[in-house]
Amino acid sequence: MPLKALITGVTGQDGAYLAEFLLNKGYEVHGIKRRTSLFNTDRIDHLYQGPHQEHRRFILHHGDMTDSSSLINILQKVQPDEVYNLAAQSHVAVSFEEPEYTANSDALGALRMLEAIRTMGLEKKTKYYQASTSELFGKVQESPQTEKTPFYPRSPYAVAKMYAYWITVNYREAYGMYACNGILFNHESPVRGETFVTRKITRAFSQIALGLKECVHLGNMNAKRDWGHARDYVEMQWLMLQQDKPEDFVIASGEQHSVRDFVNASAKELGVSLEWRGEGVDELGIVENVKHLDTINVDVTKNIKPGDVIVRVDSRYFRPTEVETLLGDPTKAREELGWIPKISFAELVAEMVNYDLEEARRDALCEKEGFRVNAYNE
Amino acid sequence: MSKTALILGVSGQDGTYLSRLLLGKGYRVVGASRDAQMSTFANLVRMGIKEQVQTESVSATDFRSVLQVLQKVKPDEIYNLSGQSSVGLSFSQPMETYESISLGTLNLLEAIRMLELPVRFYNAGSSECFGNTNGEKATEETPFRPRSPYAVAKAAAFWQLANYREAYDLYACTGLLFNHESPLRPARFVTQKIVREACRIKSGLQEKMKLGNISVNRDWGWAPEYVEAMWLMMQQDKPKDYIIATGKTYSLEEMVETVFSFLDLDWEKYVEINSDLLRPTDIKTSLGDPTKSEKELGWKAKYSMKEVVEMMVKDCLKNVSQSDNG
Repeated sequence: MPLKALITGVTGQDGAYLAEFLLNKGYEVHGIKRRTSLFNTDRIDHLYQGPHQEHRRFILHHGDMTDSSSLINILQKVQPDEVYNLAAQSHVAVSFEEPEYTANSDALGALRMLEAIRTMGLEKKTKYYQASTSELFGKVQESPQTEKTPFYPRSPYAVAKMYAYWITVNYREAYGMYACNGILFNHESPVRGETFVTRKITRAFSQIALGLKECVHLGNMNAKRDWGHARDYVEMQWLMLQQDKPEDFVIASGEQHSVRDFVNASAKELGVSLEWRGEGVDELGIVENVKHLDTINVDVTKNIKPGDVIVRVDSRYFRPTEVETLLGDPTKAREELGWIPKISFAELVAEMVNYDLEEARRDALCEKEGFRVNAYNE
Repeated sequence: MSKTALILGVSGQDGTYLSRLLLGKGYRVVGASRDAQMSTFANLVRMGIKEQVQTESVSATDFRSVLQVLQKVKPDEIYNLSGQSSVGLSFSQPMETYESISLGTLNLLEAIRMLELPVRFYNAGSSECFGNTNGEKATEETPFRPRSPYAVAKAAAFWQLANYREAYDLYACTGLLFNHESPLRPARFVTQKIVREACRIKSGLQEKMKLGNISVNRDWGWAPEYVEAMWLMMQQDKPKDYIIATGKTYSLEEMVETVFSFLDLDWEKYVEINSDLLRPTDIKTSLGDPTKSEKELGWKAKYSMKEVVEMMVKDCLKNVSQSDNG
């Protein structure tokens, strides 16, 4: 009998990478997806197995973190060995606009799942992984941040995730459950949500390179983050559930870059160098040089010229309370889980830019042939 | 013009003492309860202030309800003392605990922000947020380590409020109150349970008392003076969070001994330890450092465990002699 894993948030970036990883490990993988009016399975379509296929090992269920009975029903059917709770309203800025929904899905969602495990009498069998976040550190109390750094959440998202963190710890201590928190620092990939700053940058630059867009508007350019690749990070999620004892771990690269650094690195990947002028809301990213690179099959020089302003700051992307700097110390994960991230910052940026460049190329081609292109605007 | 205060959770221990305090200061006091028509407001009646408190039905978890009462009452100060208040019960009602505490606080913060009211907001935090501090005194800088669904919900409410204060510049504070007792404490809380049952034993109405873990240590204060600290927090130049505590800790065993010896009884003859009453996770020692509130609010606890217990026993004896209300 293969081990069974249940992934909430399977249609998201981490869910997709984790599902693929676990399928490769021989797991039977069950995923929970919300009912939506549009299909939202782009990230897992390559893993899809139809209901008429025999011996399916990848099975999707409709469910919702705000619906206890859906979670209980799925647990009853699946009887999973491992639950990965990756489902959440995951956007910090949106949490200021939808604080109650964020609390309901992120905080209460975790509680509902933990309670569902207990209700089904699975607390001794089922291991639980809770997707925690570096946003818990918020206004950081020390740097770099470790498993012992006190939290200072700075958004409704972070507060909801803090509740989920502590309720996971409490269920571990109170009921002896194998439950752990992965405090993951920012992790990106070509399938990162389009409204997160990294993907927003690589998509916009690719569209600018193809003449589909002129400029990208960003928020706080000075924010510093610890960025890694999601593919590396999901492996740690699995590893945390394979230990003798359940513990919480910080997963991070241990390296820090500003949003501006990420912009520069993305531009460089396209053969563009930028000059920065002005400060705050008046800061501009202006093209200094463009050269055609053999590594990409797009002639960037056609649409990007020296002097073009391709980055502007828009205060609407500022947050009521900003998290200025995050830097993780992954020593514990390195020593106890053998964590060594395989993909570097430069490689991450290159992979994202190249992926988005292909998407932009496809869009440009479709547009040229008169087909409608999905804009996927915010 | 006299000030108006809105108190959510007015029917509870703190709500009642706070009402009395604010009425004495000339406030118009509006008390909110989930169903004001059905509630007997027994504590307000007992205190003789029921007629002076205007009551409204408000459910903090219902946004419309919160919005309506704020528009109607137009309070200068809001005291949110509502929410599921038992640590023990939170293990069997974790969802309700979160909703009544954290979502209730969130609704109030959202409504205040939306209406742009020039209001001051007090939210009831809890020493339970600190969890085990290994005998060290908890200060406002001590990181939280919550050990129950109740404590986790209170920690979330604390940070939700701190975030709204910083993000939207609200006058909002959390009072991190350590255990505070009084004759109005319901018998579900261990102090009142011990006082009531010891009085019944004294009167020959009961033979034994069952308790869980009596080695836990708590910082017990007198509720009527703790509500003064709540009011003081609303009268400062800047909104800040404060610990309210006595700064002294006693074991539950010492507390039991104090109660029984006040009644001239030897506690060891009557108390049985029952492991069914143990909580899945408990806090070993709770102890607060009230330095900041003393320095900035000029507030200091006058009574500690022994006086608190004595006042509770005296009150209870009066009632036991009148009727058996165990």
